[in-house]
Amino acid sequence: MLTGKKLTIRLLIAGLVLLAVSFIGLLVGSEVISPMKILEGPNAEVPNVDFEIFLYVRLPRVFLACIVGAALACSGVVFQAILRNPLADPYILGISSGAGLGTMIAVFFGWTIETGFWGLSPIMACAFAGAMLTVWLVWGIGRVTGREHVTGLLLAGVVVNAFLSAMIMFLSSIIDASELQSVIFRLMGNFQEFNCVLPLMASFSIVLAGIIVLTVMSGRLNILSFGAEDAQSLGVSVEKTTLISFACAALITSIAVSLSGLIGFVGLIVPHAVRLVAGPDHRQLVPLSAIIGAAFLVGADAIARVLVANEILPVGVVTALAGGPFFLFLLIRYTKSIHWGKS
Amino acid sequence: MRYFKFHISNLSFAVAVLSTFLLLVGCSKKADPVDVSPQEPSAMRVVAMAPNLTEILFALGLDDEIVGVTKFSTYPQQAQMKKSIGSFWQPDIEAILKLEPTLVISLGFGQQAAMASRLERIGCETLTVDIESIDELYGAIEAIGNAVNRQEKAKEMLDYLQAKQQLIIEQRSQSEKPKVLWVIQRDPLRVAGTKTYVNELIEIAGGINAIGETLQIYPPISGENVIRAMPDIIIEPSMDPAQFEKQKETAEAFFSRFSMTPAVKNDRVYVIDGDLVSRLSPRLDQSIELVYHCIVAEEEN
Repeated sequence: MLTGKKLTIRLLIAGLVLLAVSFIGLLVGSEVISPMKILEGPNAEVPNVDFEIFLYVRLPRVFLACIVGAALACSGVVFQAILRNPLADPYILGISSGAGLGTMIAVFFGWTIETGFWGLSPIMACAFAGAMLTVWLVWGIGRVTGREHVTGLLLAGVVVNAFLSAMIMFLSSIIDASELQSVIFRLMGNFQEFNCVLPLMASFSIVLAGIIVLTVMSGRLNILSFGAEDAQSLGVSVEKTTLISFACAALITSIAVSLSGLIGFVGLIVPHAVRLVAGPDHRQLVPLSAIIGAAFLVGADAIARVLVANEILPVGVVTALAGGPFFLFLLIRYTKSIHWGKS
Repeated sequence: MRYFKFHISNLSFAVAVLSTFLLLVGCSKKADPVDVSPQEPSAMRVVAMAPNLTEILFALGLDDEIVGVTKFSTYPQQAQMKKSIGSFWQPDIEAILKLEPTLVISLGFGQQAAMASRLERIGCETLTVDIESIDELYGAIEAIGNAVNRQEKAKEMLDYLQAKQQLIIEQRSQSEKPKVLWVIQRDPLRVAGTKTYVNELIEIAGGINAIGETLQIYPPISGENVIRAMPDIIIEPSMDPAQFEKQKETAEAFFSRFSMTPAVKNDRVYVIDGDLVSRLSPRLDQSIELVYHCIVAEEEN
C-alpha cells in the first residue's frame, strides 16, 4: 500500500540520487577542470578557462540532460499505461520518425548553418514540428479506428513510423555524404549545445508543467490500466483521461526529441526499472520515473563525454550500452514481484 | 498430367527466351550500319570516379579524353558538361560501362575499390590511387600521368606545386605557431583532427591544429574542448558554394558562444571556399595560399 509518507521518502531518495549524479556530471567531461579554479570565479584579465567551461558548457548540458531524461521516462510511463502495453515507449506512435524526418528535411535543404531565432536552430524547429505533426496524424487515425480500443492507434503508429522511416532512408540515399553525419548524430541521440538560456528555460518550464499535470492524472492512470470498461464504470472518463495524458506526454516527448535527437532506451527501461524496484502504482511511478530518468541520462551523458579523449560520443549509444546490463540485473534481482503494467 | 504441364510451360519459356534472344540479335544487326564511326584504337576514354581525380585529369590536359565524371565535379567549368556516373561513394556501374571507357580511375576506399575490381573482372582497365595526404596526391598525379601518357605534364605540375609549398614554408613566421581550429560542421560540432591533410595545410601555412590527438579522423567535439583548446584562429570551409555568403553572415552569431577564445575575441573567424580546400587537387597551391592568408592576415594588417 502506498502511503503519502512512503512516497515522500522515495521521492527524496530519488532526488538525492539525481543531485549526486548531477554533481558528478558537472565535474567530469572531455576536459579536466579543477573545482578550486571554478570557485575562483570569472577573471577579467586572464580568462578562467575552467570556470568558463563549467558555466557555459557543463551546467547547461547537465540541465538539458535532466529535462530530456525526465520527459522521456515520464512519457514512457504514460504511453505504457494508456496503450496498456509493456513494450510501449515514447516513440511508439511515430514521434521518433516524425522528428527524424524533420531533421532530415532541415539538413537536406541546407538549413544547418542558419542561426534561427532565440538560439533555436532550424533543425530543432523542424524536428519539433515533425514530431507534433506525426503524433497528431496518428492520433487522428486512431480516433477513426475506434475511441476505446488502442490496437488501431498502435497499428497506425507502427505503420506511420515505418512509412516515415522509409522517407528518411530515401532522403539519406540522395543527400550529400558530408551532410549525413549531422543527421546520423541526431538519429542516434546527441545533445545540442546552446548558447542561449531562453530556449532552455522555456523547454524546462513546459516539461515541468507536463510532468506536474501527468502526476495529477496518475491516479486515473491506475484505474485506466484495469481496462476501459472497468474504468468507465468506476466513474473515470476514459476518453478525457487518455486525451489529456496523451497530449501532455506527446508534447514533452516532442520537446525532448527536438533538444536531443532520438535518445533510445530511457523511455522504455527507466519506467520498468522503477516499477521493478518501487512497485506499479502510477502515483509514484510518474514522478519517480521523471527523477530517475533525469539522473540516468545525466549519468549516461557524463560517460559519453569522458569515454573517448578529446571528443564526444552520441549519448544514445551510451544509454543502451550502459543501461541494458543494469536493467537485466534489476530484472533478475526483482523478478519475483513483477506486475507488468498492471496495478 | 502435372508433369506434362510442367514440360509445356518449360518449353514455352524456352521459346520465349529464344525468340527474345533472336529479336535482340536481329536488332543489333540492324543497328550495325548506323554506327558509322568505328572508334580508333588509340582514342582514350577516361572515367574519373571523384571530383579531385577529374581536376587532375583536366590539369593534365585531357579535356577531350574525359568521358565521365561524378556528381559534384564542379571544377573546372568544363567538368560540368561531362556525363555524370553517379556520386563518388555510389558510382553507377552501368553508366560507367555505357561510356565504354579505356581507363577508369578510382580512389582506394571501400566502395570504389570494390567497384574497380568488378570493372576489372568485366574487362575494363582501371587505376586505383589513394589521395589522403599531400604526398599521396603527388604520387597520384605521377601515377595518373604515367597511365594516360602525360608524364611530362605531370612532372611540370609536381615541380610547380612543390616549389609553391616550399615558398610558403620559407615565407611563414618561424617563431610563433597560432592554434587553428578547422570546423567541418556546426551541428554536431565537428573539426579536422591531426591525421588529416587539413592538418598538413595548417602546418605548411605556419599554424598548429588546436585539437590534439583524437580517435576519429574528423572528431565530433564538445564546446568544452573548444574553450580548452583556446584557438587563435577558427577556419570554416563553406559546405555549399551556393550558401557561401549566408554562412559568412551566420558565422559570427554561431561562434559568439566561444567569445572567451582569442579567435572570436580578435575577430579571426574565417569562412573560406570549401570547394577549394575540401579536396586534395592540383589546386593545392591555392588551398595553401588561402590558409596561409587566414593565418598571417593579422600580421600583414
